[in-house]
Amino acid sequence: MGKLSKPDIFEAAFWLLLVVVFFTVSFSFNQPIEIYKFGATGWPRVILFLMALIALGNFYHAYTKGSKAQEGRVGAKENDDPIKYTSMGQYIKTGTILILPLLYGLSLKPVGFYSGTPIFIAFIMMAWGERRVKFILTNTLLIYSILIGLFMVVLNAPLPQGNMSPFYDISAFMLKTKTQLDQMF
Amino acid sequence: MIENFLAGTATLFGDPFTIGIFIFGVLGGMLFGAIPGVSMLTLAAILLPFTADLSPAQGVMLFAVIYCTGTYGGAITAILFNIPGAPENAPTAFDGYPMTQKGMAGKAVGAAVLCSAIGGVASAIVMMSATEPLAQWAIMNIGPPEIFALVFFGLAVASSVGGRTIWKGWLSVLLGLLIATIGQDPVGGINRFNFGYSDLAAGIAFVPAILGFFAVSEIFIQAEKNVSGKYSAPKFNVDFPSFFELWVHKIAVVRSILVGFFCGILPGIGATLAAFMGYGEAVRWSKNKSEFGTGKLEGVISSETANNAATGAAMIPLLALGLPGGALTAMMVAVFQMHDLEPGPLVFYNSPELIWIVFAAMFYANLSILFVGLIETKTILYLLKIPFQFLAPMILMLASIGAYISRGLVLDVIVMFIAGIIGFLLRRSGYSIPGIVLGLILGKIGEQNFAQGMQMVHYDLGTYFSRPICTILIVAGVLTLLKSLHSAFFQKPKVT
Repeated sequence: MGKLSKPDIFEAAFWLLLVVVFFTVSFSFNQPIEIYKFGATGWPRVILFLMALIALGNFYHAYTKGSKAQEGRVGAKENDDPIKYTSMGQYIKTGTILILPLLYGLSLKPVGFYSGTPIFIAFIMMAWGERRVKFILTNTLLIYSILIGLFMVVLNAPLPQGNMSPFYDISAFMLKTKTQLDQMF
Repeated sequence: MIENFLAGTATLFGDPFTIGIFIFGVLGGMLFGAIPGVSMLTLAAILLPFTADLSPAQGVMLFAVIYCTGTYGGAITAILFNIPGAPENAPTAFDGYPMTQKGMAGKAVGAAVLCSAIGGVASAIVMMSATEPLAQWAIMNIGPPEIFALVFFGLAVASSVGGRTIWKGWLSVLLGLLIATIGQDPVGGINRFNFGYSDLAAGIAFVPAILGFFAVSEIFIQAEKNVSGKYSAPKFNVDFPSFFELWVHKIAVVRSILVGFFCGILPGIGATLAAFMGYGEAVRWSKNKSEFGTGKLEGVISSETANNAATGAAMIPLLALGLPGGALTAMMVAVFQMHDLEPGPLVFYNSPELIWIVFAAMFYANLSILFVGLIETKTILYLLKIPFQFLAPMILMLASIGAYISRGLVLDVIVMFIAGIIGFLLRRSGYSIPGIVLGLILGKIGEQNFAQGMQMVHYDLGTYFSRPICTILIVAGVLTLLKSLHSAFFQKPKVT
């Protein structure tokens, strides 16, 4: 197996799978363009071909030289020593930190910004290992106030309101209050 | 020129409301550039509807000022948190962040302030004196083949920095190019790789992808360190670089001004490629190449001078030809259109006062970077003292708002977080995030210009090489790739 490690094999498989999937999908839009000889698929297929070729080169490099950084590579130092996980708990904690923001993003359409944000802020602090209830509550309130103050009050930026009750009603109440305050001052 | 400049200055500072807009642009650009998670583009997107209430000169001037100061502001987050405020600040993080880790944040930020101001002022002066002749030269000599050749050269340079190996550098750039193919193809408008989602027909938006790859992935990296007990807060330091430390890099500054200006003047290329090429050239000409990426002041200087040198130059194709050089200059076109104006050669004859107030404002905005930047730097460095448990949710929230505001789509927030997860996994494996982002930005430009170029030369590649600028750039790109290929096969891994 030369100097290959499991991640190297996984990486090669990932790139080749990506190429196969995108190449297969490219047949769905393989239509000629009258004014352009190479059509809509020409450019992406060249990229996919190069990607496959370089993924194999990457695999060969890992096989013969391992996955250490090459001499003279700029900006690669920080990646030299990836963190090793020693317990299941670490996997769960990191996984939670990765997934939480995505869940927040997915919830924005039904829940909206105004209701979902304070809950997300508190959860992300807890996922970071913060357990002091007072710290979490105070900082959640502080961050939420800054965001509302800057984007809703000062900049009047349109933010997602949600489409599910009672979250939509909460957003509507906040916007109505803001409009009333604008009219007063 | 001097009379026009003075007239522009008088108009700019003769009206209190215009002065207010100028100050707002200077401070707003710096602030939004320097807040991790949002960027000058977020501010510009929010302000765009309000410019309808301003005069055309005030509206365009506001965006031009934000462009200058925001380009500098993004360097601060790149240096302090490894989160570039905009893609043009990505190479700044290569050496800026290691300097912060070594307790030299003050020196890095100080150099960024000074070099951004120098690059910007130099660019503004050339812009004022040579916009019309340079635009004429560009019209005569720069066409789609040249732009494609520059994109090719830029990508070749970008692939040689960032990844753990050259193979990973190339794969990063190719991934960016592949992501750029999602959405309609630039010639026939045929939907590609949208996987049935109609929102993806317009492609992956630029702002959420950048925020995800840079800001969100960095938060995840820090979170992982925190989970494994390896997180250490960056060292706080406010020492500025001495005059001698900066003077020894004078050649790097001049070289980066030239590189930045050349990249900025080409339509569609903008400051991002300028920063990468400025940095790449600094590495190429250095006697101590191995020191780059470990906290070398010259890396920060080269990148920051080049990206600000591109700001003035980017106004030339915008004002003279009506072609935007990047996301923010594209928004300026929208400002023109809101006031029933079309940027292009006629603006110089129909609205000279608009042109000169913008030129004057950009000149003074770049000077402001020096004065306001030096004053605010010491305050901004205190950001390093804020606990990351507080900063992380704040950055994630600002990034979410920044991603959402640009198009008003929740999909963009989801794309940003997915890009964050992908960026996190790729960074762990030694891939280059700046490479992906540059591929993403230049992918569509490259494809569009390749297609137009091929149509122009009737699919005869030999004709490409009858154009001198095109030949030089393609040969330079091929040589860069061959050199990388040589090192890929014959260079030993780092001894650790």
